[in-house]
Amino acid sequence: MARLIRSEKEVEGRYEEVWTLVEEDALDQWSAGPGAVVGRDAPRLDGYEKARGEARYTGDIKLSGMLESALLRSPYARARVAKIDLAAAAAAPGVFAVIGPGEVWGVDEEVHFEGGAVAGIAAETLAQARAAVELIEIEWEELEPLLDADEAVKRGSTIQDSRSYERGDYEQGLAQAEAVVEAEYTTQTLNHNPLETHQCVCEWRGDSLDVYVSTQYIWGLRRDLAEKLDLPQDKVRVICEFMGGGFGAKNGIGNYLLLAAELAKRTRRPVRCALSRREENVVGGNRNATRQRVTAAARADGTLTALGGEYTCALGWEGWLPPTAGPVQLLYACENVKTVEHGAKLNIPPMAAFRAPGFVEGTWSLECVLDKLAAQLGVDPLELRKLNYAHADTMDGRPFSSKNLMECYRRAEPHWERRHEVRARSDEIWKRGIGMASQSWYGGGGPPSYAWVRLGSDGRANVVTAMQDIGTGTRTAMAMIAAEELGLPLDRVEVQIGDSARGPFASISGGSSTLPSMGPAVRSAAADAARQVVELAAQRFEREEGTLALQGGNIVCSDGGSWPLEEITALLDDGQILGKGARGPNPAGMRVLTFGIQLAEVAVDVGTGEVRVEKIVAIHDVGRVINPLGARSQIEGGVIQALGHTFSEHRLDDPRTGTVLTKTLDAYKLPTIADVPEIVCDLVDEPDTHLTNLGSKGLGEPPIVPTAAAIANAIRDATGADVTSLPITREEILRALREADAKTKRKEPVAAGTS
Amino acid sequence: MPSLRVNGHDHTFDAPVGQTLAETLRDDLGLTGTKIACGEGHCGACTVQLDGIPVLSCITLVHTVGEREVTTIEGLKDHPLVDAFVRTDALQCGFCTPGQIVSAAALVASSPSPSSDEIKHRMAGNLCRCGTYPRIEEAISSWQG
Amino acid sequence: MQLERPESVDAAVAALADGRALAGGTELVPLLRDGILEADTLVDVRDAVPRGISGGTIGAGTTLAELEASPEIPAALREACRLAASPQLRNMGTIGGNLLQATRCWYWRLQFPCRLHGGDICHAHEGQHREHAFFANDFCASAHPSDPAAALLALGARLRTDRRELEIAELYRLPTEDDRSTTTLAPDELILELELPEVEASTYLKAMDRQRWAFALVGVAAARVGGETRIALAGAAPIPWLLSGPGELDEATPLEGTAFKVEIARTLVTRAIASL
Repeated sequence: MARLIRSEKEVEGRYEEVWTLVEEDALDQWSAGPGAVVGRDAPRLDGYEKARGEARYTGDIKLSGMLESALLRSPYARARVAKIDLAAAAAAPGVFAVIGPGEVWGVDEEVHFEGGAVAGIAAETLAQARAAVELIEIEWEELEPLLDADEAVKRGSTIQDSRSYERGDYEQGLAQAEAVVEAEYTTQTLNHNPLETHQCVCEWRGDSLDVYVSTQYIWGLRRDLAEKLDLPQDKVRVICEFMGGGFGAKNGIGNYLLLAAELAKRTRRPVRCALSRREENVVGGNRNATRQRVTAAARADGTLTALGGEYTCALGWEGWLPPTAGPVQLLYACENVKTVEHGAKLNIPPMAAFRAPGFVEGTWSLECVLDKLAAQLGVDPLELRKLNYAHADTMDGRPFSSKNLMECYRRAEPHWERRHEVRARSDEIWKRGIGMASQSWYGGGGPPSYAWVRLGSDGRANVVTAMQDIGTGTRTAMAMIAAEELGLPLDRVEVQIGDSARGPFASISGGSSTLPSMGPAVRSAAADAARQVVELAAQRFEREEGTLALQGGNIVCSDGGSWPLEEITALLDDGQILGKGARGPNPAGMRVLTFGIQLAEVAVDVGTGEVRVEKIVAIHDVGRVINPLGARSQIEGGVIQALGHTFSEHRLDDPRTGTVLTKTLDAYKLPTIADVPEIVCDLVDEPDTHLTNLGSKGLGEPPIVPTAAAIANAIRDATGADVTSLPITREEILRALREADAKTKRKEPVAAGTS
Repeated sequence: MPSLRVNGHDHTFDAPVGQTLAETLRDDLGLTGTKIACGEGHCGACTVQLDGIPVLSCITLVHTVGEREVTTIEGLKDHPLVDAFVRTDALQCGFCTPGQIVSAAALVASSPSPSSDEIKHRMAGNLCRCGTYPRIEEAISSWQG
Repeated sequence: MQLERPESVDAAVAALADGRALAGGTELVPLLRDGILEADTLVDVRDAVPRGISGGTIGAGTTLAELEASPEIPAALREACRLAASPQLRNMGTIGGNLLQATRCWYWRLQFPCRLHGGDICHAHEGQHREHAFFANDFCASAHPSDPAAALLALGARLRTDRRELEIAELYRLPTEDDRSTTTLAPDELILELELPEVEASTYLKAMDRQRWAFALVGVAAARVGGETRIALAGAAPIPWLLSGPGELDEATPLEGTAFKVEIARTLVTRAIASL
């Protein structure tokens, strides 16, 4: 029965109370462990298309008569258009339409960050569009930009009110402590840099708009475009068959979309708008920089008595305040916690959600300071984490739907025990050590999400839902879930996704929510189809429904009877069995989180500040694993992105002008294959028995969360040096080594490894 | 009109000097397997082979290709590395994958059983933001020619 | 724009009178597309410039990938090529072109009106400069990015152009108020060959932000030639920098953000010399 419930909806750590239509989820979970398909390695269904270059991305779409477009963007962090003359540009070769400031949402006379758009041009070729942009005569009035986050907070220039949280009595917690460690940490601005930049093709068909776009949220985009263009939602069709990565940057709408839609309207031709790599590195979204002051206090045995943090986030001109204090609030049982988060509104490009926003930054500082505390108390860091284990939600006492972090800790032990052996391999140049960091994050997904399953007369199934696959392999996971439920081999299941006109509502590919949101809906749809098959089979073969099941492509009866599925479906001729499924509600009164721990083994060249990560062990608890092969890819991918965040990636802005200097991929350094250590993946594959009909949580984000802190802790273990800023560049290592050396000379205790 | 030999076929093309090989392949010949991700020679997504040697088609001017044979991912569709990449899950979003396979095909042509160090050295010019590198290494070390 | 493809040195030099030389294109093509350089005529010099390795003679058209793989090449140059750029760029880029590559200074690349672009300030001094110079950086703090140039400088290579022979050190000049160029090459002059002396031992050590495909924070080349040890640095000054000895590092003039490079250089110079 459909039911309207008032429930918490969480995306990327942002909660809101919403009305949600849910349908009861009557299916029992499958038993733990691998099934016929689920829980077994499956190469992705679209692997060949992608590997052979056949997968059609937005940039590969070529519609007849299609025009290309380019934007005029502000070279200044803050400026006003004093004068603009579009005539010369409009008259340039190949130009079809020109849009100036104020004509489209997000294309304005005043710009508040570098890259703010003031005009757009559609022309026959991209080269013509770009050349015409150069012909726009413009006079800028430069305005003084606000670039310093602390200054902004002081002046009250914030995106939203500062967010304070307190539980227990923080001051008293500090007073009870045997040891208090307080330290300041910083993190850098990071760019998502999906290899496919933001891009779209807009085509009007009558009064309807087709939008081919690289997006993480087909339905959110449909809604926002309809609203901005004042169209009924069904007049906007959003198509994203393949997309070349997003990592949070492509969750929402952008002015390039509105611009393309308007240019297409004016020219009556399809118009493509694709950001260049340099535009992507300015306005494509970013993980905001932070400055964090974190305090951890504990009794002599390591019991935490107080945790505190003050966080200043340099959000840019727009955005939202990510849950940077989340780890301090959620990760450990600590009665006295106090945090405050400030979100500075600055004349720099807006932040966007980036793979576990807030938690990546907040875990870095918390897990570093915790190891310093452990060292000061002489408590083993792993023991410290076990000792302060949160058995229930630390914020409101709710039970967890499932939590196997202790099992993760147990599995970490043999790796942690290697530390003496690892350290013993140090030599004059290379100092070696091991560090660890824990992790918690959301990832439970939620309703609504819908799927249909079509069963054809050839005995093959097609999962239909208008979701997108950002690259995590959710398309394949959906097929596996349907195959498992229908008792079909995987090669008899297709998945049709990526088109809002050709499938029901599906959730965002963000917040580690796609699998836990969509998977249960797909299973429910497959179960609906399976039920109908059983009903028909019972009539056809004159058996009781209760004696029949689908298995291995057959309808089997408990009396030993077995018939190929096609014997029933063939009766349908061209007809089909249609199964419909919806995502059920999340368990009431429970907190759904993901957990994990990572260990890093590093070698530090104390002469040059080079750090080589030799091994990362990633142990995560995300409920039932649908596709172990794909899950492993998610863990490795998260860890590798974290390695970039830890060492080489850094968006550098010119301090004088507030403009981005690292616009290109030689200067903004993503990790290469040569930077990748051995990565050991270990998943606690325990279904969350309270969570939906699957028991699966999301895995897209958890693996990126603890890596940087584990590495920093390993560096301290190896050298005694405390790194406090990301990225951990050579200059940061050399600085920290000098600082540790000075402490040693003053005979102060160095917070190095405890033994 | 100048001509170009691509994947065993001759094509003539009409383009101003300054147009890149990547633009010609994608826009004029419709060979969109070659991706452009940075357009300035930094990421490797546009990698094609010229006479078997991996180069960056986004900064190769099409008029300088001359007699050299161009091999794109479309010419490597039946290469066993394609199977190896799919089997080992050496792709996520897939946008860098054609370039990875073009580079890898040249690597295994000159060194059929490359060491881990060799793979890392020879594949370092193909960036993958999803982080499929360990799978790529496995694909290349386990391919069956 | 038009493209010419002369087949002789004379024809190439004649064409360069109003054209730009194009070989691997890894530097020229992006700079043209950015509008940092302009050209009506591109002169594809690959048929005119020698390519290949013969004893101590290297054709300027030889690619970095070919040098990296050649056992005839001294270790410092081989290693400098191996650690330079990316595999595809090494497959494309020639050694002659590599010696002439422009700085990676972001201010220059993004066309800030800096001194190298004829302007009157160096934006890096007050700006972001962790990848910049720590020697000869007063006028312009850009760092020369070529690993092979540092190696060749330490090895004491000589160059032959269409009109002269010179020490590699003579190819470079520091930019000044009156002349902002960093090389002494005439606009229509072509580097044809490099000549290496007999080398007893050599090495190249490079510190960078990634294990591969990054420009040098500091590159240290050291070579023993005729009993004499020579050291040269990449990423240290606006041009490849010949170091009179380890002691010269005490005279470095780092900016606030490049002091760490001096520290790294000290370590790498010591290690490089010890390894010879």
